[in-house]
Amino acid sequence: MRRGLFALLPLLTVFALVNLFGQRPASATASSPTAALKVYAPDRVRGGLLFEARFHIRARQNLEKATLVLHPGWLEGMTVNTIEPAPASETSSNGRLSLELGHLAAGDSFLLFIQFQVNPTNLGHRKQTVELFDGRKKLLHLDRSITIFP
Amino acid sequence: MDIALRAITLYVFVLLVSRVIGRRELSSLSPFDLILLIVLGDAIQQGLTQDDYSVTGALIAVSTIASLQVFTSYLSFRSQRARKVLEGLPIVVIEDGKVIEQNLQRERMTADEISEEMRTQQIASFSEVQWGILETNGSMSFVKKQSS
Repeated sequence: MRRGLFALLPLLTVFALVNLFGQRPASATASSPTAALKVYAPDRVRGGLLFEARFHIRARQNLEKATLVLHPGWLEGMTVNTIEPAPASETSSNGRLSLELGHLAAGDSFLLFIQFQVNPTNLGHRKQTVELFDGRKKLLHLDRSITIFP
Repeated sequence: MDIALRAITLYVFVLLVSRVIGRRELSSLSPFDLILLIVLGDAIQQGLTQDDYSVTGALIAVSTIASLQVFTSYLSFRSQRARKVLEGLPIVVIEDGKVIEQNLQRERMTADEISEEMRTQQIASFSEVQWGILETNGSMSFVKKQSS
């Protein structure tokens, strides 16, 4: 009985080492003939942790008004420390965070960094969909989610 | 993942520090040593958990340290060589009533400190002692001479 219980201790360490409890970043990508989007951010985190989400946009065609739209799951129970480079404008698009990045010529690359901290009371599993628009035209949709451990 | 790696790194480092500092420093805590120990613990905690306020993080840190502690004690139990490295060996500081200066210097101890230890064990002089040994846990033990 005691040995069995003890076996659970190193098991927890092994699970942690294989990233079961976060916060190793993972990549998710979406692409179309117009643009490509890569999101690099952890999909498992714990309360209090500081982490970064990196959004890499590659324009394959001219984008007049590139706009990144984030699902509320990105912000729910999270503190946003900074967004760099600062978007041209921020607004709400049906409850989602819309970040206007401006003009991107064909072949241009845009890297956006958002620094987060998980609020200690935050807990659960949330959608973190990312969409890329050119003006009002949707170009890309990327599905991802995040799990927040207590 | 990071918290388990930090726990492993800090455990190995603290183990190394405790071996380097020497057993006497660890067994005799003066008020200054005690404060230093608290500061050390606080510094380690900051490096270990950083901004992690989660219960999961605490569970990972505790289970990693506990696992390493059991692993090292098992290693000491199974291998004499490992025991020598992890815990050290007892050091003879008095032999047949004579203080072995070389061993005292190695542990940065003075004859006065040994006398103090002897007095706590109701031994008045070095001549009464057959063996005086500094144990691996930092305590001192004395074997009195057989009275003829």
